[in-house]
Amino acid sequence: MTKRGNTGLAKVKEIYEDRSFYAKQLKAEDKKIIGYLCIYTPLEILTALDIVPYRLFGNMREPITNADAYFPTLVCPFLRSILDLGLKGKYDFLDGSVMPHVCEVGEKLAHIWRTYIDLPYSFYIDTPHSKSEAALEYHKEWLNEFKKSLESLTGKELSTESLKQATKAHNEQRALVRRLYELRKTEPPLISGAETLQVMKALMSIPVKEGNELLQEVISEVKERREGPKGGTRLLLWGSNIDDIAIIEIMEEFGANVVMDDLCVGSRFYFPDVDMTEDPLDGLARRYLLDLKCPRTFIGAAVGDTKRDYPKDLERRFGYLHKYAEEWNVKGAILYNLRFCDIHGFEAPLVKDYFDRYGLRSMYLEHDYSESSLAPLRTRIQGFLELLT
Amino acid sequence: MSGEKKEKTIKRLKAMYPLRSLVDKMYERAVEYNEEGKPTAWCMVNWWGADAVLRTMDIAAVYPEDYGAVCAAFGTAQAFLDRCNSDGFPDHLCGYARNGIGYASRMKELGGIPPEAPMSGMPKPTLLLCSGYFCDTRYKWFQSLGRYLDAPVWLLEMPHPGVRESLSGDGTQKHIIEFMVKELREFIAFLEHLVGKKMDWDKLDEVVNDLIEMNRVWHEVNELRKAKPCPMHSRDFWSCMPASLYVAEDPGKTAVLYRNLYDEVKEKIDKKEAAIPEEKYRLAFAELPPWHSLGFFDKLAERGWNFVVESWSYHPPKPTDLSKISNPLERIARHTYRHFAGFFEEAYKNGEHLGYFGYPYLDYVKEYECDALVAHPLLTCRTATNHLAYVQDRLMKVLKVPTIVIEGDIVDLKHFNPEEALRRAEAFEEVIEHYREVRKKG
Ligand code: SF4
Ligand code: SF4
Repeated sequence: MTKRGNTGLAKVKEIYEDRSFYAKQLKAEDKKIIGYLCIYTPLEILTALDIVPYRLFGNMREPITNADAYFPTLVCPFLRSILDLGLKGKYDFLDGSVMPHVCEVGEKLAHIWRTYIDLPYSFYIDTPHSKSEAALEYHKEWLNEFKKSLESLTGKELSTESLKQATKAHNEQRALVRRLYELRKTEPPLISGAETLQVMKALMSIPVKEGNELLQEVISEVKERREGPKGGTRLLLWGSNIDDIAIIEIMEEFGANVVMDDLCVGSRFYFPDVDMTEDPLDGLARRYLLDLKCPRTFIGAAVGDTKRDYPKDLERRFGYLHKYAEEWNVKGAILYNLRFCDIHGFEAPLVKDYFDRYGLRSMYLEHDYSESSLAPLRTRIQGFLELLT
Repeated sequence: MSGEKKEKTIKRLKAMYPLRSLVDKMYERAVEYNEEGKPTAWCMVNWWGADAVLRTMDIAAVYPEDYGAVCAAFGTAQAFLDRCNSDGFPDHLCGYARNGIGYASRMKELGGIPPEAPMSGMPKPTLLLCSGYFCDTRYKWFQSLGRYLDAPVWLLEMPHPGVRESLSGDGTQKHIIEFMVKELREFIAFLEHLVGKKMDWDKLDEVVNDLIEMNRVWHEVNELRKAKPCPMHSRDFWSCMPASLYVAEDPGKTAVLYRNLYDEVKEKIDKKEAAIPEEKYRLAFAELPPWHSLGFFDKLAERGWNFVVESWSYHPPKPTDLSKISNPLERIARHTYRHFAGFFEEAYKNGEHLGYFGYPYLDYVKEYECDALVAHPLLTCRTATNHLAYVQDRLMKVLKVPTIVIEGDIVDLKHFNPEEALRRAEAFEEVIEHYREVRKKG
């Protein structure tokens, strides 16, 4: 279903550059396509009902014009851009949307989107902030409501078996992504950071089965190719949403290799598996609430705690980052945030504290999600890389 | 602003003063508790989800969000903001949060309340209680205080269902309340360990009832303001509201003060007295006012602008009968959830999707017969701002009611320009008149 019959990385690039082309083709084949926001939507439920999950992204290369009427300039520009594209009709091919409570502004977007963008279906999931048992039960109820709403959309009942099959297919994709990330552990990495982001974005635009085939192709291709990335300063990229390769390309142009990430268009989305539980909703509820490692979900005291120990707190929250840094052998970390993202804004200095404890240098970088503001970031990135070499 | 010293145009209510002074006492109480070795908490406003529990457990609460406004008003905020900035926090974060982080950082350096802290300062807390209600800052800020304070940080959750899902699903309502009750139970178990004593359930029962009654009376006061002309201006609302919002004093005692307020407002209505000399225009205000420039409202009052309703999130919930519910935790849950979702059914009927922060303004403008909305976006408070453009659009589309937007900030006080705002307000009167005509013609 590619335009030119491409495979592997060429196909990835093609999808990355015109992702709606494929979605529209699927639509012409009578498939239902549902747009989803961020990483908290249980895609397995969509897949199990033969619906194609299609991640909603903004476009930082397109100026925001129409969204100004409903969303002020001081909120997350990524979300503003999504709304803007929706208002301009760029998501009109969708059959519906699902938006979880990813953050305060994301939640507002769900309701504003519904008001002005007339898609046949929309659902909002009230994802809790915390990880308590009560929150987990509550979360499961919402996933169940979501499932029911899709059943009435499709007129099909979702069987446990199909949900298990879909879960397996998504877990397979996660395993393949982790395999792909393994190929970044070598020196030099076999695949660049910018290419990896393209793969991630392509996967989020096509059905899971095709995504898995594509991943297999990409893995074989990069293992065999000769013209891979050159050696360079190995970086870990932490932060909020990055859906355009431009920022990573800047880093890689200056001789760095982004070899690992903790991003929601990256490992944060793909790394944790879903446990195959008897009631598949149990596994899904746990994975999407407890196992995803986005700072939007709160980790705090437990019953019995009377004091807080900051170093322990950091270890509990960010321990996985140290593992990433060691296993991918990084020399520095870039903490990327979108301007006006509070969740990552409060988190970044603490992540920095955590890396400082291990002597890993990091730099905070803020971007307003526009092409024009990349230039000043170049200088800062260059300066940081010089510091590391 | 020139002429600030001359007599104020807005007639203030006498019953407001004792309510207003309760907040000062709240800070003093916390400092005293700290000196006596009793537990204190820094809390995010939690819309009564935790307040009755804290009061019953005899934990003195202060609200750093409110303290941000205090520091801004006393001119001490800038130093705390700069400190927060140099500690690496981005400057687009909530101004109150940055003030609080700077304060905590300074407190860590000194080992106690900084001498420059206004009022009596906030003492070192035993507990940091954040809230899952509305804004992300409400929990992320307190998590980051771990850098400076060794108090455990607890999050009290708040569900945020959408209008449609909460009303169309068969079990959603039930699960929401169950979730909140379980969260409260867990919170109490945590507190019992923290302060080393058991919850007095009978006392909690009483405090919850008092709190609900306090808010019922406070709601009734605000209902009276639908009268034309309206004798209670938003300035009185803002002065009286912290007593309820922070449960600054025993709610039973506070209910008496709200009752006095009710009587005074009622009496004025009977005498047809307005809060301003002549009520030419009735206005709604969203959201946080420019605390430092409240004289601005006197200037508008001279022009006949009466502010009759405001700040949805500061209003008490619409009363509902909870007396048959024996579990006090369920009463708390329902009371707090009612604040959040009290307008949902109406919103649903009217096909509106933003049931809180959005639809309440449509309802207010209709019910209080407002001519316009004054929207006050704030540079560093997303929560008070992110819905305003949407509200402006809904008001115009649905009710043909115009909005004037006047920008400000919560800590950078220079951002609000009263002279400029006044000039724009004068010109806006034509727009108000125009839409009055449009509405008349239907
Ligand atoms: S980048 Fe931040 S504000 Fe934007 S959607 Fe993600 S969490 Fe929300
Ligand atoms: S962002 Fe606004 S609502 Fe949230 S804590 Fe800050 S001042 Fe309060």
